[in-house]
Amino acid sequence: MIVVENLVKSYQSNRVLHGIDHMQQRGEAVVLIGPSGCGKSTFLRCLNQLELPDAGRITIGEVTITAGQPARIAEEKDQQRQLRLRAGMVFQSFNLFPHLTVLDNVTSGPRIVKAMSKEDAETLGRELLGKVGLDNKSEAYPGQLSGGQQQRVAIARALAMQPEVMLFDEPTSALDPELREEVLKVMRSLVEDGMTMIVVTHEMQFAREVADRVLFFDAGRIAEQGPPEQVFSNPQHQRTREFLSRVTTR
Amino acid sequence: MIKFGRCSLVISLVLIFLLVSGLTQLFAADTLVEVQKRGELLWGADAEGGAPYVYPDPQKPEQLIGFEHDLAEALAARLGVKARMVQNQWDQLIPALERGNFDIILNGLELTPEHRQQIAMSQPYYVYAEQIVKRKDTIGLARLEDLKGKPVGALSSTVAQRLLEQMGGTDLRIYPGNVESLRDLKARRIDAVVMDLPIALHYAKPDPELSFSGAPFAPGYYGIGVRKQDLQLLGALDQALSVLGRDKTLERIYRKYGLWDERQETLKDYRPEVVSDRKPVSTLREWPKYLPLLLRGAAVTVELSVLAMALAVVTGLVLVLVRLYAPVPLRWLARAYVEVIRGTPLLIQLFLIYYGLPEIGIRLNPFLAGIVGLGLNYAASESENYRAGIQSIPRGQTEAAQALGMNRWQTLRHVILPQALRVVIPPVTNDFIAMFKDSSIVSVITMVELTKVYGMLAMSTYDYIGLGLMTAAIYFALSYPASLLADRLEKSLSYDRR
Repeated sequence: MIVVENLVKSYQSNRVLHGIDHMQQRGEAVVLIGPSGCGKSTFLRCLNQLELPDAGRITIGEVTITAGQPARIAEEKDQQRQLRLRAGMVFQSFNLFPHLTVLDNVTSGPRIVKAMSKEDAETLGRELLGKVGLDNKSEAYPGQLSGGQQQRVAIARALAMQPEVMLFDEPTSALDPELREEVLKVMRSLVEDGMTMIVVTHEMQFAREVADRVLFFDAGRIAEQGPPEQVFSNPQHQRTREFLSRVTTR
Repeated sequence: MIKFGRCSLVISLVLIFLLVSGLTQLFAADTLVEVQKRGELLWGADAEGGAPYVYPDPQKPEQLIGFEHDLAEALAARLGVKARMVQNQWDQLIPALERGNFDIILNGLELTPEHRQQIAMSQPYYVYAEQIVKRKDTIGLARLEDLKGKPVGALSSTVAQRLLEQMGGTDLRIYPGNVESLRDLKARRIDAVVMDLPIALHYAKPDPELSFSGAPFAPGYYGIGVRKQDLQLLGALDQALSVLGRDKTLERIYRKYGLWDERQETLKDYRPEVVSDRKPVSTLREWPKYLPLLLRGAAVTVELSVLAMALAVVTGLVLVLVRLYAPVPLRWLARAYVEVIRGTPLLIQLFLIYYGLPEIGIRLNPFLAGIVGLGLNYAASESENYRAGIQSIPRGQTEAAQALGMNRWQTLRHVILPQALRVVIPPVTNDFIAMFKDSSIVSVITMVELTKVYGMLAMSTYDYIGLGLMTAAIYFALSYPASLLADRLEKSLSYDRR
């Protein structure tokens, strides 16, 4: 489903990702943990081409992008778009469109990118808003919602493109603690539905509960990975032990 | 209370103005005494396109020459002082004299009853006549009447303008300078120019494309203008002129500039006719007569501003899109355009468009040239407004749109521009209101809009205050609704109502 081979990314002389390899099955939920600046967000953003990797190959479903190869521009852009259509993204700061209603936010992708009819898009949109528990807010503007509600709308907006993979970039970090649970609940239900997911998060409890596999990132490399009970209870790596003792005593 | 406060402020300003101008008239000694004490005679004139009267020497541009320059030197010498020229726009010479910017006007000021009502005038020093100038290839137009139905140029507030207005029936264009009207004549924008003979002799006669049409007509006199209370100065000037006439100094000066003719022999026959004192005109009391004239000018201002702003808003959008999203060489071009337009005066841009473009075969009429000039100038400023607006939209908005699979144009069209629009409404409105006022600059390319109408009426009535208040009120009545409209638009586009 997802195959990443030797992914390399640098900012100027600073190498952020040192040749990441990763494989993921359909329906698998993977959680990325690690200290800030370890490259986990960059890895996620490379997957849907918000950051362009310097080298390596990314495959999602049937679409493969090889970085750093001179390609004909138009074809490269088309590949990039195809990849993005298969990967839905949820951001730390929601990034809803403030000038559109909640429903228009959710239907904007299908209508603009897939040229879906207004009725079809709205039927789909209302269904997804129901799924995230916000069917009564469809005519509201994002500015009128709480942070937790906004993030649920953002999840519905990403789902509206019917992606094969959902990417979450610290989806609860910008939220007050009492608002986090409503977002995590929606994410749990997605896991139950069998959605293929990669989640960057600091919510260790959530990782322990729902992840099929946990990846520990350190200094641009995957230092350790395995089922959550193994990584959390019996970490093999010195750096993993240090990180876990820091976050769990907090 | 507030209403009363504003009203009394205006009244007290007017009172102070009247008081100060009254006091200076009461206590000022005759200017002749002051001139002698100062050792300098300040003479007001316009050297811009001022040949052969007074103009910068083409060989030594820092030095002035011209028959009036030489005459001023000769007059000052007779008074035992030095002469110094004070530059002043020609059609504003009389108000400037009354304000005390200089001692005398010596600059082709015609000895007309109108002028003699406003200021005192010396005996004449030159006999001029009017001359029709046409292109060499034009046939006919020998008499003033032949100009009916034709586009004709004249210098602002001259006898030529008055003659043409009195006759009526021509498409009259008023120019701020002499050079511009002849340029337009050669550019075929107009068919003839009526001008004072000395100007025609200097500028039109040597030009192979132009020729004199018919004989000079409507002769008249140039005299020196002084303030009405300066009787001693006037006497001294009259005496000096008589001496300069008798000892042939005048003839020598005029021959030097090729301006001597047999008409000058009649100078000594001049007898001033008696004119009654001018009645003060209150345009405010007679507003039904003046307001419609001002409103007709305001209509031109509105048309011009609205069309120019429409051009600016659209061109600015193209500019900013090119600058932010086009391939590199085009980006640089857009950037260079903005910098060049912002870094050069609007006046020069207008001159280049109106008088410069005909050289390469592009001939715009004044209205179109005004729209293009103002529009392209403001486009640079609008594109900067847009750029600020677009760049104020957080990066996350673009990323969210891209993550949904939108391409660059879809992102711009559906996500960035709708949000930027609201941000740019206030600065764009501000520019629109500024445009109302800036548009007065098109009077330099013969457009008659609100400010020009004000200037022309003020010059004939001398009621700068009454007309000024009326004109200001019209400008305000135009711009205030524009800002109300913008407020409403901004509110209706607001989306973060909580």
